[in-house]
Amino acid sequence: MKAYPYRRLAGPVSLRVTAVELKVPGESREPLDTKAFSVVEQVVALGGTGFDDWESARLKLSATIPSKATAPDSGWSDVSVVAVLTEKATNARTVVPLESTTESGREWTGFLDVWRADHRDRASLSVHVVARADGVPGRVIATAQNEWIVDLSAEAPRRQRELDVVIAGFREGPQWRRPFREVPWIVDTSGDVAAVHVNTDFEGLTDLLSGSGSGVEGLVRDLLLAQMCTDVWTAVFHAAVGDLEVEEDGTPLFPHDWRGEVLREMLPDVMPGRPLEEALGEVHRRRTEAAGWIDLQPRIHFAATRRAEMPKALSTTIRGLDRLQQRADA
Amino acid sequence: MTHKPNYLPERLALLSDLNAAQYVTEGLLNGKEDVPAIALSKIVEPLPYDGARAALAPVRELVDDAMCEYRDEKPTKADAWLAPRLHATLRLNRREAADRRLWNFLALGVAPDYVVWRFLPEPNGKEKSGEAPKVAYRRFRGAHYTQAFARLWWMAELFRNGSDYRPVARACAIQDMINTVLRLDVIDHRPTAQAMVRLLDRGTVTTGREVNALAGAVNASAATLMYDVVAPDVERDGRPVQEWVEAAETAGPVPRRMLPEGPDEEQAPEGSVEALADYFTELLVDAPVRGRPATEDIGD
Amino acid sequence: MHGGEDFGPWLARQLRMAGRTQTELADSVGVTRAAVSAWITGRARPRDETIRKIATALGTDASTVRNRTTDTLAGRPVAWYHRPAPRDGGREFGNAAAFAFEADVSVLAREATQNSLDERLDNGQPVRVRYTLDELSGETLAAFREAINWKELASHYEAAASRTRKVGQVISAGLRDMYTRDRLVLLRVDDYNAHGLTGDDYEDGRFAAVVRRQLDSRKTARDAGGSYGLGKATLWATSRLGLVLINSTLSEPHEGRRERRLIGRLDLPWREVDGKAWAGPAWFGRPDPHVDGDDVARSWWADEETVDRLRLTRESGEPGTSFLIVGAHDVASLADAASPEGEGVDDDSVQRMHQRLVEALGRNFWAAMTSGGGRRPLLEASVRSFRNGKEVIPERHVDPDVEQPARTRAFRAFLEGATVDRLTEAGQVAMTTVPLRVPGREGFGSGGEHRAVLLVTDGDDLDGEPYALTMMRGNRMTVRVGPVPNLPIGTNPFQAVLLAGRAAGDAAPFADEAEAFLRASEPPEHDKWGQTDELRTCYSPSAYRRIAALTREANKAVRDLVAVPQEKRRAGTERLRKRLAVGGRRTGRPAASGGTGIPTLDELNAHIGTDGAWCVTAEVRIPQGGDSRPLVPVAKLDVRSGPKPVLAWAELVALHNCELIDGALHFTSGARRATFSGVTDVSTHPVRTTLSGLVVELRTGKEDKA
Repeated sequence: MKAYPYRRLAGPVSLRVTAVELKVPGESREPLDTKAFSVVEQVVALGGTGFDDWESARLKLSATIPSKATAPDSGWSDVSVVAVLTEKATNARTVVPLESTTESGREWTGFLDVWRADHRDRASLSVHVVARADGVPGRVIATAQNEWIVDLSAEAPRRQRELDVVIAGFREGPQWRRPFREVPWIVDTSGDVAAVHVNTDFEGLTDLLSGSGSGVEGLVRDLLLAQMCTDVWTAVFHAAVGDLEVEEDGTPLFPHDWRGEVLREMLPDVMPGRPLEEALGEVHRRRTEAAGWIDLQPRIHFAATRRAEMPKALSTTIRGLDRLQQRADA
Repeated sequence: MTHKPNYLPERLALLSDLNAAQYVTEGLLNGKEDVPAIALSKIVEPLPYDGARAALAPVRELVDDAMCEYRDEKPTKADAWLAPRLHATLRLNRREAADRRLWNFLALGVAPDYVVWRFLPEPNGKEKSGEAPKVAYRRFRGAHYTQAFARLWWMAELFRNGSDYRPVARACAIQDMINTVLRLDVIDHRPTAQAMVRLLDRGTVTTGREVNALAGAVNASAATLMYDVVAPDVERDGRPVQEWVEAAETAGPVPRRMLPEGPDEEQAPEGSVEALADYFTELLVDAPVRGRPATEDIGD
Repeated sequence: MHGGEDFGPWLARQLRMAGRTQTELADSVGVTRAAVSAWITGRARPRDETIRKIATALGTDASTVRNRTTDTLAGRPVAWYHRPAPRDGGREFGNAAAFAFEADVSVLAREATQNSLDERLDNGQPVRVRYTLDELSGETLAAFREAINWKELASHYEAAASRTRKVGQVISAGLRDMYTRDRLVLLRVDDYNAHGLTGDDYEDGRFAAVVRRQLDSRKTARDAGGSYGLGKATLWATSRLGLVLINSTLSEPHEGRRERRLIGRLDLPWREVDGKAWAGPAWFGRPDPHVDGDDVARSWWADEETVDRLRLTRESGEPGTSFLIVGAHDVASLADAASPEGEGVDDDSVQRMHQRLVEALGRNFWAAMTSGGGRRPLLEASVRSFRNGKEVIPERHVDPDVEQPARTRAFRAFLEGATVDRLTEAGQVAMTTVPLRVPGREGFGSGGEHRAVLLVTDGDDLDGEPYALTMMRGNRMTVRVGPVPNLPIGTNPFQAVLLAGRAAGDAAPFADEAEAFLRASEPPEHDKWGQTDELRTCYSPSAYRRIAALTREANKAVRDLVAVPQEKRRAGTERLRKRLAVGGRRTGRPAASGGTGIPTLDELNAHIGTDGAWCVTAEVRIPQGGDSRPLVPVAKLDVRSGPKPVLAWAELVALHNCELIDGALHFTSGARRATFSGVTDVSTHPVRTTLSGLVVELRTGKEDKA
């Protein structure tokens, strides 16, 4: 828990994107449909706009803050509200002030330009209330509970993202994959997004995966999918803990990308009952100090199995086979 | 020592983390082996752009000049010279610079010999028996503040004041600015970065030890204080960088004696820089200068 | 002669009510029958002296005859007239129509307001509807009982209440409330700028439709939702005494008069009183000698004093009707409140009914109440509450912008022509049209393609459930609100409105045909469009499918406007990719089995001491099983990024339910809360204390298990 040496503003601070316009060089701004962003997911998706050569996107913003902030007896003065767009991968930080639009001081609006060349993948958009507190100017007295995501490449405004699936024959294609031509699938965790490569040279595999058959075929397919997912989650977890940035004092940092998400989702099962940061530190310690890393493997396996919903798939399969058996007997 | 690659393609390229990993061998880290350049050239991916910026030779020449220029000095000295020139040679926007594959390629496909030259520690007798000094893995493949080339490019990007690279050279002169300050989020705010350099200019901060103390104080204070509000920057305009990138086609090689010129962006407002510099000076009065010994002038 | 009606009709009515013939009057007054006939037909007027004789003959004074503002009291007085049970012994257990509805003021507001809307005078002005709740007690209640001749009713109520049927229970609860708690809630529904209850007491007309025929729907307005159809039964259903009094000001004179046409109607189940069997309704009015069986009463023209005593005074002479529901109750709101008293009415029920009326009016009639494009709204509505005639909740005009902001914004944009083709900014209203292929009426050609108007705008919390499509036709009453199906996750909340028939505007093709078609597809409850008998007979048995097609088209058009795009998946990878999603989980899953709960910091009190150290008092919440794990409190300095510097403790004290061993807190077994305090060591602060925040965490100490 945190404490501050000055009074903070209690109550909800919320941010909303109300419109998005794209700027293509030499042309006037083109408003996008509101479908390009989701106030439910709090995501702006700039990948499916149909404009390839856009240069910047103007986000119209609206923030709501508790009216206490600007009450005469609040103890704060020079209250301002700023929107901040950041992306760790590009060290980008854009700050714009919003303007109060209602007398109550609750609604603040403004706009922020997202320069495409300043961002790579996903930028975070947050809003802060800043004021002079106890004579000190520029104190952050409140921050929005939720951040928006500005996704440069997604077509759908969703927070969740999917790992990639590549369907290809392993005999061909990239060098590194060729030695694996005998296996049905392999997980590549090196790219911007982890990818499962499914080997079409493994006969019948893709038919089984994409088939619509029910009965035994359907049961086997669901079990196979669960097995593949178990493999994937195990691999991505190892990839994520194996490539942590470490602070000077040895504290491992959560990665910014999908690796961070994977760790956040799986660590509670790997190190139950621990705060995330502590769990990450412990896993990192065990991996690097060569003690306890082996002991951790069953827990990683457990977390991956759970994440892949393997127990559910397996019991469904077993029950399904029983039923088929009974039908055959009858 | 590791040698210059025996094969250099014409164009720069991208090398994925997974593919890079197999070439960062123990022998390379020890400075005893070379990178098999032809094999490497077969697994690279092409750059998403073409033209003058994609040419490999200017980068290689620059590195050669750096190693030549500083052959009799500590390699750390080369950073201040190389950072602005590398930045001006590559002419990347941040979107491109955030692609780790480019840095992997520079470190393995263009100048592994530079990485070894710059980061192989001199034997100091403290090595465990039988262990030779070696370059840290993260110098070939790693975060923007550790990878050999990425750190230089990002130092130049984050510490240049518009087109003026002088603050970059100033900042790179103290290794702690790269090792400690570059990894802080606070310097993503241009006036903050400039104010820290301003303290070097003023002589308020001179040693690595003081830089670290300053960095800690600035970072802690930023947990409650919004520098962006008390010392606002100008509105972000992406066009000057775009024009600078496009001008690569007509630009010659970067000057070796004088500093090059960066993108014609508006400078950080002088008032904001001065105000923050004054505030940071106050912070430093209270901040006890302690912690680990200064790392100044120590290679790693 | 101010205000009085013409002599002829007045005299005719007095004779009729007194049960006397023209000849009898002629004899009493000493004139010929032809002279009386001439007065009645308006061909002649009696002289002053004759008027006095007429007054004597009618048992009244001369000024009553001269002014003719009221009826004489000749004949039997205003009283309750009960209908005797049919001789065949059939027992009618109360008004079937009335008890088809559960007492629910929301339903009442919907049905009664719709009637008012349908009865609006077509003069470009809105019909004004006002709901007034008045809780009576003490002397006021006694006086009101006196005014409605309670004595005459009491025995009937007691007989009806003693029956065990549901109706009997309702009545019995109502009586108990009045007698033991000395309270009675009146709910008055007024409309102004409406037709009023015109027409004869028995013949076809608005009056008879309301007062006589419970299931009759008499439609005049082209867009009518069902004038005084089944809906009027909700008036009686809302009264736990089955009693409604009516005062109407007519838009066209009846019997030469317009104001203060009064009648009361009571619906009771079969009962036996004084050895006689009674069934069904009773009327409060004047006995009508012209009707067989003299126990039927007709409306009367009351004087102002009577109207006042009956609490039926209208605010102006503007035409319209006031319904006074005696003993109003709201079973639905009781269910909401889950009253522990069960059948008793809560003290605050007036407040709750008030609120529910406002909500129901907003929900159902926001469109009718919306103005725009230079046009006034069709309807204005308000609600107010009194106690013994004194205001307790001020009159509240139902504002559609407050009750249904998003939908109202959409409709106003349509009225003002301010819609857009596609949504690019919050607050916009997109408009498109969807086809309704109206079938031909049987034998009347083939109908045509109507284009209904579809409006979509972003939702507001106050509109209720988002992602909904609201449908209405010309009377602008919400017919149905339904969810739009098959929306991708992440779609922005919206409200969609479908304006069909005459609601689609003057420019819409085949609007009248569509209006008629949809009206035919609306059941008496007016809550959907679908198969009805009328639709089957007037169109065809399959005509209702056109409505399903309309809904489908509307839902599709909504999706085209608002559905967020979905990530394209290559065929064959779909199944796998779906399972390989990361992020987006806002809340963490509960820890898997095997994870025991660990104590967490629940409360942190911190201030900076005089020497600049942080002084903290912290409360720890200990879950089941968490008391066995020692934890180390750690103080850190907050930073913008990177690791947080740790501050040493100068002092650490276990205060409650814990003890301190080697810097770790050991919790008392079984304790659920523990507190400790600490002071940081100022010499370990890397910066001045006031510069940054303090972070306190609990760390698990030594590894206790792998």
